[in-house]
Amino acid sequence: MNDDPIDAGCDKYSDELAELALGVLTGRERALALSHVESCQRCADELEQLSRVADTVVQVAPEVEPPMGFEVRLFEKMGVSDELAPRRTRKERRERAHRHRSRSVRWGTAAVAVAAAAAVALGLGLSLPSSNPPTESAHGTGHARGQVESAHLVQNGENVGRVAVFGGKQPWMSMMLTDDSSVRGTVNCVVVTKDGARHHVGTFTVSPDGYGAWIAPLDHVDPADVRTAEVVSPSGTVLATATLS
Amino acid sequence: MRELRVAEGELSDEGLLAGMAVGDQSAAVTFVRRYQRRVFGLAYSMTGDAGVAEDVAQEAMIRVWRHAPVFDPRRGSVASWVLTITRNLTIDALRMRRAVPTDPDDFAASALRSNEHNPEDAVKRGDARDIVRGALALLPHEQRRAVVLAAVYGRTALEISESEGIPLGTAKTRIRTALMRLRAAVEHEEGVSDEQ
Repeated sequence: MNDDPIDAGCDKYSDELAELALGVLTGRERALALSHVESCQRCADELEQLSRVADTVVQVAPEVEPPMGFEVRLFEKMGVSDELAPRRTRKERRERAHRHRSRSVRWGTAAVAVAAAAAVALGLGLSLPSSNPPTESAHGTGHARGQVESAHLVQNGENVGRVAVFGGKQPWMSMMLTDDSSVRGTVNCVVVTKDGARHHVGTFTVSPDGYGAWIAPLDHVDPADVRTAEVVSPSGTVLATATLS
Repeated sequence: MRELRVAEGELSDEGLLAGMAVGDQSAAVTFVRRYQRRVFGLAYSMTGDAGVAEDVAQEAMIRVWRHAPVFDPRRGSVASWVLTITRNLTIDALRMRRAVPTDPDDFAASALRSNEHNPEDAVKRGDARDIVRGALALLPHEQRRAVVLAAVYGRTALEISESEGIPLGTAKTRIRTALMRLRAAVEHEEGVSDEQ
């Protein structure tokens, strides 16, 4: 293999490396480019770096919650035992179907991703498009459909997380504490509405490293009325606050 | 409020695939729950059709389950492998159904919306996805379209030249320039991260 920094063939094939990395070079061009790369370390390294970036472009697609029943149908096709998957899935389905009556909370990074996406939409001055996929956020979000409020969670003047409130028929909220927050252990989530009323949303646990993420339904609370969301210690001390409007 | 901890979240992607390779169904369940939103999200972003996206996402997961034993970590990350499978299946589905894919501008817009919009955090985490999202946002519109058409929709330079109504050479230049800029952004941010 040629390790020389300058190879007469490199210039000839440099334009092709990007398409080769993207997997869209075809036929004779592809064969010639591959042949050169096999004999040129410099272009092989270049191709490897470009391929890594090209792969990442596919990975920037947004995370989207699949339709209801996705897991059940998939696990059935995969032949996964009922003892492992559908039992939990049925529970999740019940929770989703009765979210407005339930105060249970699902934890998960996916929820945070949805919240982050919505938060960014707000930050960019965008509203979630009506053509968005069948995520829970897209189906029933916003004080008016498709809208969301989000804000930083602040602790001692420092941003330590993010809160997002979603409206619609089944309003809900998400909260995330970054791993550098000083919040630990069991804490409460409280929202304060414009009339000054405090509504306990739920209790959750923050990991020893200060990270926590969760979502919860906003039962009996109009998202449009929420002014602040708080992380409150069991003794009632407000540990962090997000001012939503 | 009830907490549902994801205990299996401790396992790496590679560890889960290793479990799947020997038929561990619990590993498969965990893997599906970890990746289903990304897989479905990619298929949906390319098709704009939840039905097609579900078919594709399910087929992608089944292939991962079946082919877990042949995954080679030396050739790339698990995420890259899974999403490339998904992308290819989506392209096939679009062709077979003669369906109209989403516009690359729409794909890019939805991808950028999923950014946490905090470049400092992105660098801190060393998350190339966030860095590429940020770099995509900074590309000239025509270059962004070209690189998304190639990287995501699998369009060749010739196909891009035809669909965009531009000379083949221009299409090639746009693709190359865009990818080089994305790479430069990743290298720059990685360099910044290393210095920190």
